[in-house]
Amino acid sequence: MHDRHLRPDEIELLLDGEEGFGVAPLRAHVRICTSCHSELEKARELMIALDALPDFAPSVKFADRVMSQVQVFEPWHAAALSSARQFVPASRPARVAAGVGAALSAGVLTASATWAFARADIALLLAQVGLERFRDQLGAASSDVVATVLGQPGLAALQQGSAEVAALAVGSFVAVVGLGVVGLRALAGASRRAR
Amino acid sequence: MPKPDDLATLPDADVVRLAQQGRELAFRELVRRYERPVFSLVFRMVRDRETAEDLSQDAFVKVLNHIDRYSPEFKFSSWLFKIANNVAIDHLRRRRLDTISMDGSPHAATAAEVEATAFDLQSEQESALDELEAKELGSAIERAIATLRPEYRACIMLRHVEGRAYEEIAATLDLPLGTVKTYIHRARHELRRALEPLRQ
Repeated sequence: MHDRHLRPDEIELLLDGEEGFGVAPLRAHVRICTSCHSELEKARELMIALDALPDFAPSVKFADRVMSQVQVFEPWHAAALSSARQFVPASRPARVAAGVGAALSAGVLTASATWAFARADIALLLAQVGLERFRDQLGAASSDVVATVLGQPGLAALQQGSAEVAALAVGSFVAVVGLGVVGLRALAGASRRAR
Repeated sequence: MPKPDDLATLPDADVVRLAQQGRELAFRELVRRYERPVFSLVFRMVRDRETAEDLSQDAFVKVLNHIDRYSPEFKFSSWLFKIANNVAIDHLRRRRLDTISMDGSPHAATAAEVEATAFDLQSEQESALDELEAKELGSAIERAIATLRPEYRACIMLRHVEGRAYEEIAATLDLPLGTVKTYIHRARHELRRALEPLRQ
């Protein structure tokens, strides 16, 4: 037991409810010393008053002011997941049906891809045939355009002439069209200025 | 997508996860939960409502704009309080408005050091306190808190107003546990001394 009054740090130990070595004599002293008992009570009252301190509220617009400066960023994986969830049906039977449908589609697609990979020669042949047809159709369409613009004689001259002649003809055509556009724009501009 | 009412029942970690997924409502929920505690802490630190609002806003914006860096092993509130406290301390350092403890530096080891670092209560502090009397922080205990060093004030607020454990305060303020205990003990002792005349 202590034969002197408690120091402030010893009162704090008691306030914190410490149970360590050396606290028991402090408690015993407080039981018999009215002065230290009074000090401890005052300290307890202060703690109660501190615990009862209220929180202050910021202004009503505080949250809006904060949010106006916060960049809400949705990561791509969260956005993708959110988009995918929109396609998931709400009811359980519909979800099961959609799952079965998705599994069947995935199975068919996988089988098709496997077959196409195993028969790559056929796929290559089909691709070549398709490319050839596309080229033929593109040539025919170009001939039609040239025949419309330059007439049959012009088309015949182009077909008979060399690549240089063809390039010269196309270049001349582009130049004439360009000059036409520039002329029209100049006319339109002059008309606007006159108004 | 969760509604605001659903969010209110979720723990902080879940709300933070939703915020990390870009849900604006989750950000708003975090502001709603902590606007009062953070504002109270900062208000009691800087003792000016307008400045406290600006600083609290800075703290929230810093935290919410870096929500992707939040590590779930720590409490969200500790992280937020840490930023808010740092913002307030930085402001006080800039403005040099600290009201220094009458006992001098808490790091003072000898009587001479205590005396050398002790603060003489002069006009600046008195005028600050006079000003406070007309404001919200006008009660005797609030005025006594206003005379504490900012470090003591932050510890006392986190301990008593926010009810945080010593260990949590140490983590929040990046201080050793023993230092936190010392700060709180000295702060309470100073408060008792400051309030003693009122009791008499």
